Amino acid sequence: MSRRNLELVFLVLAGAVSTMAYVSVYAGRFREINSVSIVYGLVFVGIFLLLHVLVRVLLPQADPFVLPITALLAAIGLTEIFRIRPSLALTQGQWLLVGAGLFVLTVLLVRDHMKLDRYRYIIGAVGLVLLVATIVLGTTINGAKLWIHAFGFSIQPSEFAKLAIVVFLAGYLDDKKVLLSVPTRHVLGVPLPAAKYFGPLLIMWVMSLAMLVFMKDFGMALLFMSIFVALMYMATARIVYVVAGVGLFAAAAAIAVSIVPHVQDRFSVWLDPWPHAATTGYQLLQSLFTIADGGVAGAGFGRGFLLFANRQPVVPDLQTDFIFAAISNEMGLLGAAGVILLYLLFVWRGFRIAVFAPDGFSKLLAAGLATAFALQTFIIIGGVTRLIPLTGITLPFVSYGGSSITANLMLVALLLMVSNRTNIIRGGSDLERRRMAERG
Amino acid sequence: MNRAISKVFIITAVLFIALIVNLTWIMAVRAEWFRDRPENKRSIAEEMKIKRGDIIGFDGSVIVGTERRSGYYHRDYPQGTVAPQLIGYDSVRYGRSGIEAQLNDDLTGQSTDLGVQSWVDRLLGRKPKGAAVKLTLVPAVQKTAQSVLHGQKGAVVVLSPKTGALIASASAPTYDPANLEDRWARLSVDASAPLLNRPTQGLYVPGSAFKVVTAAAGLDTGKVTPDTEFVDTGTYVVFGGKVTNYGGAVYGPNDFTTALTYSINTTFGKVGNELGRKRLIAGMEGFGFYQTPPLPLPEGEVLPSGRYGKKGLLAPGAFMDPLDVAWAAVGQERLLATPLQMALVVGGVANGGRIMKPYYLQEIVSASGDVVGATEPEQWLVAMKPQTASELNTMMQRVVNAGTGTAAALEGIQVAGKTGTAEKGDGSDLAWFVAFAPADDPEVAVVVVIEDSGSTGGEVAAPLAAEVIKSALAQPALP
Repeated sequence: MSRRNLELVFLVLAGAVSTMAYVSVYAGRFREINSVSIVYGLVFVGIFLLLHVLVRVLLPQADPFVLPITALLAAIGLTEIFRIRPSLALTQGQWLLVGAGLFVLTVLLVRDHMKLDRYRYIIGAVGLVLLVATIVLGTTINGAKLWIHAFGFSIQPSEFAKLAIVVFLAGYLDDKKVLLSVPTRHVLGVPLPAAKYFGPLLIMWVMSLAMLVFMKDFGMALLFMSIFVALMYMATARIVYVVAGVGLFAAAAAIAVSIVPHVQDRFSVWLDPWPHAATTGYQLLQSLFTIADGGVAGAGFGRGFLLFANRQPVVPDLQTDFIFAAISNEMGLLGAAGVILLYLLFVWRGFRIAVFAPDGFSKLLAAGLATAFALQTFIIIGGVTRLIPLTGITLPFVSYGGSSITANLMLVALLLMVSNRTNIIRGGSDLERRRMAERG
Repeated sequence: MNRAISKVFIITAVLFIALIVNLTWIMAVRAEWFRDRPENKRSIAEEMKIKRGDIIGFDGSVIVGTERRSGYYHRDYPQGTVAPQLIGYDSVRYGRSGIEAQLNDDLTGQSTDLGVQSWVDRLLGRKPKGAAVKLTLVPAVQKTAQSVLHGQKGAVVVLSPKTGALIASASAPTYDPANLEDRWARLSVDASAPLLNRPTQGLYVPGSAFKVVTAAAGLDTGKVTPDTEFVDTGTYVVFGGKVTNYGGAVYGPNDFTTALTYSINTTFGKVGNELGRKRLIAGMEGFGFYQTPPLPLPEGEVLPSGRYGKKGLLAPGAFMDPLDVAWAAVGQERLLATPLQMALVVGGVANGGRIMKPYYLQEIVSASGDVVGATEPEQWLVAMKPQTASELNTMMQRVVNAGTGTAAALEGIQVAGKTGTAEKGDGSDLAWFVAFAPADDPEVAVVVVIEDSGSTGGEVAAPLAAEVIKSALAQPALP
């Protein structure tokens, strides 16, 4: 079966599963199944079918699994958001539409991701500006300064900055990887490359530190630093960068824990939430209780205890950062582990695209995007399950939030472009290769 | 480059597997543990969908009922504030305490005594119905006890000496359970501790009220009789220190009955050393000191009485020198007692030396109206011989008729009692009155303790005790 037909089959499957989940929630909520509930389900499936048609025309040889996984995750997210607060689901649906629009726009405007390499400094600068703008203009929500209010919307620029930084680093590191791999001098027996190539590491470190101190957000800082360290390592295969990166981040984290009260609270709650059960530890403990309550099989969609009598969620921020707690409660261990495996499947496809890509930039771009996606998922799921300190970042495709879903749909667009180019070069039809050459 | 990329993928895969392992730990292995944590209020919120059983007074009136709002049942309190610290609260946000926590399984209909839900009920999603619990608390007496404490800090306990039933248990300052959730932020940090159930959790220096215990030990071991003669010079010098009387009084020659009547410290200090450390402590243990009184309440809501050190209750065998023994015999030194413990002491004297197990649960009535459980009165301890109890009873009547406790005397009712004033040296005295009545056939044992009284137990606490006794003996029925 061709890649696109495979994608279609999986999309239809994902659509069917998500429609069932949605109808289950709807029935639990309104005690009936009517045509409205089915129409919403069909609109959702329609959006992804349109994306599929676009991919069929413009990216014919792209990976067939990424889009169906995205659809399934988005469906699970929308269903849970609808479950928690129906009015938000409608907003999130509109954001999904905007995200789909940006996906189309990205594919139409960029067409070939190799073009991005030419604009890497501009893209990198845009990423940096987005972050600096957040620090300067941002408003503080839940102790972290991650949001900019503009035109009646709340935008989380770091979600987009993440993409820009990955594109920039992929280009920069691919260019400089040889220079970075060759030590020019030794400090305390540790081989170091020339300072001017080592510089970006320090800039990234300073930026992460600035994010920690000014945005008071441990999660995004950790994510950016990890992306950077992973890309440095993948570009140079030199473990010294990993050691240096981890060491520098640990130092920055230690500083943050001691001087930023918000980060300090999060850290002490992570170590021992019980003494803070009614205060700073309330949210995390309620999250753990909600997750534990799901048991192996879960309460079922729309049937878990997630809302108080006054319709407030049992865990504050349940529809955003803590949506995984809601999923665990209603889908049980089997469902929650399934969702994690779904993320792992997505990540695996991302790395697979990287491994097969024919050039360094494509490899680093795909691997960087996959790393960013994987770590963001790990940081938030690990946070709400107390595996690591809790930090407020979104669960890709699932959490409520416009910036998150649009930025991550753009991430999918980039991955599919890399994949399409790779597969055409490695065995597409003559026609496809010729079209590719014309674009390049 | 591909090798490094593969390695990074392997690392992310390991991280994801760690997530799944951790999730399995939380959701499968430790799920039960999380469910049972006291901080976990999820089950409370779910149980709010069950109609919780009423809590009923001994007179049959509803003290705590339920009201349905938007699908959830909430507690309501038709009689206002009635023993909120003992009955406890039932809050989604702050959990449960007191009787609400202790009898939760009965109140929510989940107790096995109430019959497990049939599978048909489960299939149809029928919720279990809670059973009502009838308490031994008599609302009229309880309200008198609360009103005598109004505006002060302290506690009142009323027990039935013959059965051990708790007739009233008041703690002041108090709070209105109906708006606990709104006031929690202030109540929980209030320095005067309105949430504390003083009768069972308040540890006070017993002062001269403790002389009942010393007297019982002295008489029971034959070391003294009510007529044993002593001479008071105002000070009793012992082991390099001295024991003095309240207010510096000097009484001259006195017998043991007179010593109790006027609360002469020097005589009791001497009796203490006559007994010695071991017999004094054994006497205390006979009254239940050094163990948690068996009133069924959640962990930590009933505290044991005895000698306390910096790290809490000392062992009964802890060292005391003769000066310590002398001061302990007059109820000072390191002694701390709860009002409940002191009520058990006077209850023991009233009941011929036998202390009944304290209880508050009269019966459990299932939603279908069947009585599914009841408390049978049970003896707990034997504190002294009947002869000793009878002698002490007579001596305690003298306290009310001619001694420090005359303010507790009542027309037509013979009250037996003992005053206590624990000086803290800064004018913030602690006033006690421990009593039972009628002396010849005791129906009630009453303890009143007032913090920061500014005066003696005889002046402050005794009249309040009299009021409570009058109210209790006027009731048509007592448990």
